[in-house]
Amino acid sequence: MAASLRSPGWYRAALWTAIGFVFAFALVVGIRAAADFGVVVQWDSIITVALVTMPIFFLYGIGCFDTWLYWISGRPTKPDDHSDHGAHSWKDYFKVNTDHKVIGIQYIVTTFFFFMIGGLFAMIFRAELLQPGMQFIDAQTFNGLFSAHAALMIFVFMVPVFAGIANYVLPLMLGAPDMAFPRLNALSFWFLPCAGIMFLASFLAPGGAFATGWTAYAPLSDQAPLGQTFFSMGVQFAGASSIATAINFLVTIITMRAPGMTFWRMPLLGWANFATSLLVVLATPFIAGSQFMILFDRALGMNFFDAAQGGDTVMYQHVFWFYSHPAVYIMVLPGFGIISEIISANARKPVFGYRMMAFSLLAIVVLGFAVWAHHMFVAPMQNWIRIPMMFTTMLIAVPTGVKIFSWLGTMWRGVIHLRTPMIWALGFMTMFVLGGISGVMLAVVPFDIAVSDTYFVVAHFHYVLFGGSLFTIFAGIYHWFPKMTGRMYNETLGKWHFWTTFIAFNATFAPQHLVGLEGMPRRVADYAEQFAAWNMFISISSFVLGASMLIFIYNMVYSWRSGPIAPANPWNAHTLEWQVSSPPPIFNFDDVPTVVGHPYEYGVPGARHGIFKEPEPVVAAVAGDSSTTSTDEGEPAPA
Amino acid sequence: MEAASAAHAEHHGHMPVANASAKINREYFGMVLFIVSEIMLFASFFTAYFFIRVVQGEPWMPEGQELPVYVAMANSAILFSSSATMHWALEGLKHNNRKAFKTGLVLTLILGSTFLGVQISEYVHLGFLPKDSAQASVFFSLTGIHGAHVAVGLIVLATVTRRAFKGHYGPEKDKHWGVEIPGLYWHFVDVMWVFVFTSLYLL
Repeated sequence: MAASLRSPGWYRAALWTAIGFVFAFALVVGIRAAADFGVVVQWDSIITVALVTMPIFFLYGIGCFDTWLYWISGRPTKPDDHSDHGAHSWKDYFKVNTDHKVIGIQYIVTTFFFFMIGGLFAMIFRAELLQPGMQFIDAQTFNGLFSAHAALMIFVFMVPVFAGIANYVLPLMLGAPDMAFPRLNALSFWFLPCAGIMFLASFLAPGGAFATGWTAYAPLSDQAPLGQTFFSMGVQFAGASSIATAINFLVTIITMRAPGMTFWRMPLLGWANFATSLLVVLATPFIAGSQFMILFDRALGMNFFDAAQGGDTVMYQHVFWFYSHPAVYIMVLPGFGIISEIISANARKPVFGYRMMAFSLLAIVVLGFAVWAHHMFVAPMQNWIRIPMMFTTMLIAVPTGVKIFSWLGTMWRGVIHLRTPMIWALGFMTMFVLGGISGVMLAVVPFDIAVSDTYFVVAHFHYVLFGGSLFTIFAGIYHWFPKMTGRMYNETLGKWHFWTTFIAFNATFAPQHLVGLEGMPRRVADYAEQFAAWNMFISISSFVLGASMLIFIYNMVYSWRSGPIAPANPWNAHTLEWQVSSPPPIFNFDDVPTVVGHPYEYGVPGARHGIFKEPEPVVAAVAGDSSTTSTDEGEPAPA
Repeated sequence: MEAASAAHAEHHGHMPVANASAKINREYFGMVLFIVSEIMLFASFFTAYFFIRVVQGEPWMPEGQELPVYVAMANSAILFSSSATMHWALEGLKHNNRKAFKTGLVLTLILGSTFLGVQISEYVHLGFLPKDSAQASVFFSLTGIHGAHVAVGLIVLATVTRRAFKGHYGPEKDKHWGVEIPGLYWHFVDVMWVFVFTSLYLL
């Protein structure tokens, strides 16, 4: 027992999390006693400090800092023998691991755990909205539920799940043995459960969960009960996680590509994550700043947002949206990359307008920083900001349109294989265009003012985030499932999952456009009698939507345990990750391959993307059947 | 499958060396990107400063909350000279002058700690608190976050100094990054102070 408390792991993590709490208690009470306040036990302050110390002490206990502390203490560092690479049993996924493939799966499973809880919250408040009047929960709980729903979905699902998929796929795709900073990669993953658990734990705080929405507008969030601190602190951890991952991706993409892989021979998933990481590094510090200001106001009594003391509440919205608008691109650009891979491989054609696809990503990055105030058309900001922001918001539809038409051009006269990932990709395209069109409608200032804070807005962002981003996530997970697990998913269940989700999704969110236009306000627990019929329909559809996720979970769990063994390259794709075994060897490659051509030359006779050294005989038995025998119009994989 | 992948693993027992597709050192580049994100964190607080002072037109600072410009000026000089000694230490290392290397690091530590000490003493003697006005909140936040960065820099440099006295690092190409990268961070902290000092004390 004593030994297990000294070595990294869950016992030491539990011990140190407890020590973190004691430390926070002693610090707050001790400082006040030392400053002649006497012995005061004020739980608000103690919990605020504990929200910093407990996660950090937990991260030490689980073992995120061990190697670094070894270095800091001045002892000679052990050369890294990479003995912790790979996962040999399910228990290895619960340890600190520096292998990007293990971290990728840790990311995906953890984020889907929070996704399920966030979805459950949505169904609870949809149950409340089934009928007018108050039935199950009070208004404060309702506010807490929709706030936690948004916080979980955005900060610990949508943003990090893309980091998880890219973590797994990108180093393989680029021909790199691992990410540039494997230990930082592990640390960024372990920040996430800290953030997610903080959002959930806020329900236990006195006064209930944070109830100010995910936007946490000041001064409401300044005056909210203690649960708000859980939100602000959780965002700091999630933000630190995404900044660290973005730095890791940028360094990996720029300095670790295989020989011959110029930027113009890089798969579009690499481009998409390059663009996303630029956004994260530049924008995420702004939400950290906004939440620091809230924390300073709440914990240190500062007055950033107290107008009587010269504070400025509109400033909060500017700082917040300067991150949170680019954040919607952080939540969809990696999806664009996934869709490009899938459509090209399943339509057996090169990506149409490859360079334009890359340039349009960069255009979105640049324009994404110039549209934030369209969230503030009803805020008391300067009037002259509105029209330029309306113009840039409409302009950003142009690079997005370039991408949509390029995907259509890719499919034009292709040999389309309607496998599950492809169906999700097609579903994404239709739904995202609908969400994009209502986005252009919302860019128009008078229309936006009319429907501000109604269900029309809710419908819009669920079409882009659920019908858009989440569909790309499902597409990506089905597409790379054989590579990640070494087994095939069940094609029939995959298609059932798609059609139930697709229909229930539209039944849930399409009517919200109508009730929104009629003026039903969002974020309110009760509503007028006239909306009753539609709301009952929406609520029932949302339960079907929730149930459709069970098909996905069953398919994933069942296929991972006992699906048919996957070949190395079931889709006959050209990118490098498909040229190694499924699942890939522990160090990805024996020797880094040389890239000699474009990644999407499907249907071009004799086209090669990567060339591997002649494999050893044993390897050939396992992985050698991939690149040499791939034919371009190959049969769909057995499922 | 398990057996196959285990046999597989044995034949892939070594980690291949990643191709260097750019000439820049990976750790150095990572620090550059980290500094970019740090600049944006400061920028978010400068946005608060801008909105309160320029857009709202609040007086800077409010009546009775004057800032000690000359003390801060002298303190700035101390911080800027620590950038010079840091550079001296790195040049000493690159030219295999261990004495200059170690002296430079120790001087940097002393100057940096002095800056931090003076800053804390300034907080104590200002005569107003962060809660007294929005301007005071901005002042304490910007200088406080900068001070936190100085403190982190001092911890990292103290580690480097300790290892320097143990004989680590060398003039070879791959053995000076452990000094150069913390040095880059230290220069960033100094340059950021130019903006903090100018906008809070001078303008």
